[in-house]
Amino acid sequence: MLAAVGGYAAAVRFLGEGELLSSLLPSAWAEGLASAPQMARYPQKTDLILLTDRPPQLETPLRYFESELTPNDAFFVRWHLAGIPTSVNTRTFRLEVGGRVKNPLQLSLHDLQTKFEAVSVVALCQCAGNSRSLFEPRVAGGQWGNGAMSNARWKGVRLKDVLDAAGVEPATVEVGFRGLDTAPLPQTPRFEKSLPIDRARDGEVLIAYEMNGAPLPMLNGFPIRLVVPGWYATYWVKSLSEITVLDQPLKTFWMDTAYRIPNNAGAEETPQQLSKVTVPITRMSVRSIFVKPTLGEHLSVGRSYTIEGVANDGGSGIRKVEVSTDEGKTWSDAKLGTDLGKYSWRQWSAPWKPTDKGTYRLQVRAISNDGRQQVTSQWNRSGYQRDVIEHVEVVVA
Amino acid sequence: MRRNWVKTSIVLATLGMALWVSASAQQSGSSGAAKGATTPVHEITLPQYPLEMPSGPNLAVFQQHCLLCHSGRYVTMQPRFSRTVWEKEVKKMVDVYGAPITPPEQTQIVEYLMAIRGPADTK
Repeated sequence: MLAAVGGYAAAVRFLGEGELLSSLLPSAWAEGLASAPQMARYPQKTDLILLTDRPPQLETPLRYFESELTPNDAFFVRWHLAGIPTSVNTRTFRLEVGGRVKNPLQLSLHDLQTKFEAVSVVALCQCAGNSRSLFEPRVAGGQWGNGAMSNARWKGVRLKDVLDAAGVEPATVEVGFRGLDTAPLPQTPRFEKSLPIDRARDGEVLIAYEMNGAPLPMLNGFPIRLVVPGWYATYWVKSLSEITVLDQPLKTFWMDTAYRIPNNAGAEETPQQLSKVTVPITRMSVRSIFVKPTLGEHLSVGRSYTIEGVANDGGSGIRKVEVSTDEGKTWSDAKLGTDLGKYSWRQWSAPWKPTDKGTYRLQVRAISNDGRQQVTSQWNRSGYQRDVIEHVEVVVA
Repeated sequence: MRRNWVKTSIVLATLGMALWVSASAQQSGSSGAAKGATTPVHEITLPQYPLEMPSGPNLAVFQQHCLLCHSGRYVTMQPRFSRTVWEKEVKKMVDVYGAPITPPEQTQIVEYLMAIRGPADTK
């Protein structure tokens, strides 16, 4: 009975149970049902939505998505283990590159900034579990709304160049990555991820020391983090300190158990029939969300309004975004914003002048350059890779 | 403090340096302006966001074992789940993360989780 109805979950997830049912009624929209979530202000960050404080998991409020690039202080935060780095000495910090290499390296931040070619890319960093709170039936995990993602211009060096400098040995299959974060208990496995060797050496994966022209905030991985354009943020290891070239796949909870999806195109399964075979989640699916209007927002009849949002995919770029204001009967093309590159999200906007009073259910769907489309329903046990056609209810008065 | 300033210029310089370092460290720790151009040490101090957990059976057992590694918000942000889900979550903490929780304590913790985030109709 209390199961939240699809898209409402994010906006109502901070409400008490008693308020939830009433909030589903249109009359509740008029009363501003989206009660304020708890905000938190961490060092080098602005007020963000507090999911957890130890370790910090902070969601970006949607209004920041009106900017092409998410300001560093509004960039979402997600750590796995409570022992996060709070102090880094850039004079003594070293990135160790080892494993199956001819010349193990110990690189300082200065080495990275001076001995390798600097490159930059605009890339969306999106948590695999972004929008998990919208899954129905609900699933356990970080109960994110749509704000577990942010878009930034990253500057750093190619992982490929660093691996070449170390000299990768033949017959290697993966590259493993660790950061400075640790767990309170020594027996807890370190957070550790791996990339297939080909992805690691494709020249697109970066070791970034700047985002949006400034050093990374500590909570976003100072002094360096991995940037894996087009892939979910779980691979974007923060405060990167160890790179290990491997001759067999990395065996760790974070690859073998967590961050896995059903082995089918839509990452689909049902609670009654869980997929027997799962694979690591990798490339982001095509998706679009509303930034404006927000749930329950009041619009005026006969007055022009600009619907806005962002769309992304896993690296082919966005071909088209379509918006419907009539329950999906008709769809019209949204205007796409600046093209910042195929790994950036794409802003979109669509004018709308509602002619009648009432409640409206707006929908948006995106199509990627490689022809991928969004789905009308989706579920998986971990709440990953959401790419359902989103909707938002608004009141026109 | 001011009395030191009548000493030699070396003392003056040292003091100035100390104040400067202290000021920049403070700035990098508490504001968004951590430039780090002045000191190689970049430091932040994490703020506290205390949470009062809902009362329920075995709250003390929950607090003793679970809060060692993570915030209580890991639980309070969740919707209601079945006993199966909560048992699985507690088991994961033991099997994967190595939490030293005995089987009887695990049962007690599940009872607490069921009381505050169990299915609505069995509460």
